[in-house]
Amino acid sequence: MLWSDTLNPHGRAISLGAYALAAVLAVSELAILALALHPNVHADYRAYYIDRTTTCLNRDAIGSYSLGQTVSFRSDGAKRVAGMKVCGWSGPAADGTHSLGETSRLRLQIPPLRDGLKATLQMAAVIRPPQMTQRVIISVHGVSVHKVTLSGKQPITVSFVIPHAAFSDASTFEMTFDYLDGIPPSQAASDIYKRSIKLVSFRLDAI
Amino acid sequence: MRKSGTENLVTAIKSPRHAPSKDHPEQFEIFPDYGSTINKRHMVAAAVVTVPLLFGVAGLAIRYAAVASTLAEPGFESYARALCRWDCHWYLDISERGYERFPIPNQSNVGRWGFFPFYPMLVAVIRAIFPFATILVATITSIACSYAACLVAWPLLEKNMRAYVLYCAFLLSGPFSFHYTTFLSEPLFVLLTSIVFLALKRSSYPVAGVSSALLSATRLVGVLVVFATVIQMFQQHRERGGSPLSFPRWVLGRSDQLVAIFISPAGLFAYILFLYVTVGDGFAFLHVQRAFGRVAGNPLLFLWDGLSAFPKTGWLPTAPQWSALAAIVGLALSVVLVARKQYGAGVFCAICILVPLITNLASMVRYVIGLAPLIMLMAVLLSASKLTWLAALVLFLVACYFMTVAWIGGYLALV
Repeated sequence: MLWSDTLNPHGRAISLGAYALAAVLAVSELAILALALHPNVHADYRAYYIDRTTTCLNRDAIGSYSLGQTVSFRSDGAKRVAGMKVCGWSGPAADGTHSLGETSRLRLQIPPLRDGLKATLQMAAVIRPPQMTQRVIISVHGVSVHKVTLSGKQPITVSFVIPHAAFSDASTFEMTFDYLDGIPPSQAASDIYKRSIKLVSFRLDAI
Repeated sequence: MRKSGTENLVTAIKSPRHAPSKDHPEQFEIFPDYGSTINKRHMVAAAVVTVPLLFGVAGLAIRYAAVASTLAEPGFESYARALCRWDCHWYLDISERGYERFPIPNQSNVGRWGFFPFYPMLVAVIRAIFPFATILVATITSIACSYAACLVAWPLLEKNMRAYVLYCAFLLSGPFSFHYTTFLSEPLFVLLTSIVFLALKRSSYPVAGVSSALLSATRLVGVLVVFATVIQMFQQHRERGGSPLSFPRWVLGRSDQLVAIFISPAGLFAYILFLYVTVGDGFAFLHVQRAFGRVAGNPLLFLWDGLSAFPKTGWLPTAPQWSALAAIVGLALSVVLVARKQYGAGVFCAICILVPLITNLASMVRYVIGLAPLIMLMAVLLSASKLTWLAALVLFLVACYFMTVAWIGGYLALV
């Protein structure tokens, strides 16, 4: 309705009402936009969805584990490992549990310990020429404990010591795998689909 | 708006003393066309209503035949469940359980936030009235939406019966009719898009604004129809002799146009507010795309990658090739729309293709065939000669069977 056309009071009232509605809509939309530009979210949400600083969305998974047990990450151990996998894993398959993205995490419930632990992992590299090796940094609660370069399709056994200081303050045991040479399925693919290793088995022993 | 001869005729016979009568045969001599024109009007109206109905029934029969061998038990509900693939399950979940908060249950990365709420909400409301299985209610609602979209298309197709028949055939019994008749956003999106463009054609901005608001709550790209609204306003302004520079002042001087512009994205903003309150992130629908593996990139590269993904065996194009071709054909048809001075529709369709193309080619075929102005244009172009019209009609009906089989089989280009 044209403002100048609204000669009668009724028409003018409708026009004024429409202007008021347009103003309310514009202000509301601006206010909602301002809210949306300042998300109020959990740090894990922000890291994965907004900042994209990780490909591994933290979740509240905690697996049960008894020290000295070797846990299979192949298909036959699917039920046991289900609770241990926090994020960054796909499978398990017959040849192991495949890493997905640039980081993978495991989280376990272990009894309180006085000393460190010895970890024994069986892993294989995912290889696609020209990428023939996979560098992996293994951390426990953010403390880097081992670096390994995997090559060849056959799984290799990796053993290393985890100092007590790395997990002494934590109520759970969390191991993180960071991959430096992940292979994306295609050039345009998202980093959440990168492939690096296949974890075949996992074992912790008290020292 | 210019009145048609038929409309004038109706005015002329409003009064009983003007109406031709059998008791006075001379009136038929004086007004020889009146009776036949009225009959013709009724026949045309009957055809407009009946044609989509017939194609609706035919499409149902063809698709049923295509999925019959996969059904555990015969019946409409089994058929509806069989056709519910891919995104259909997301809409089912939203309609039945709503949206999740964070953290997402079952340790999932993928929230339902990426799927807009209006259609699942509508189905939930209808289900509350008719308490049947959600997929049953949704399938019937989708067919009804597509049927209504056909009726709305009649004036948009300039009452071109051949184009109308082809359009109805495409929507209700064509190669992609499963998209328009299962629980996906396409049926409602096509209906609302058609309503917006019909309202714009009639310069009914409040109706266009409200329909746009609903469209923006149906799919993210729905909000882009506001560009078509502004372009239509600009065209109207220019037709009245206004200069480009005086356009903003002209719009500000008309409260109905201002309301139409600001109400258009209201559905999207309502959803943003909802996500902010429940998830803490108003843009969760965008951010969750990371979990679907969508990353921003160069659309030209995506198109090139798609086109160059040649089949390793056989000669049929691969799914990426179909997707890339769909995007290119869609963009080409958008250019044709612009060339035919349908600027708003052309710009709207082109942006609706380019926005998802920024991430990748996924679902591109579905996005393109969900753009009503493009499908209407295709129907008009194919109706130019009787031969192409007939060939297209037969092709649509035959392809309906095979494409439904491909959809059930999970052919990636149709996802």
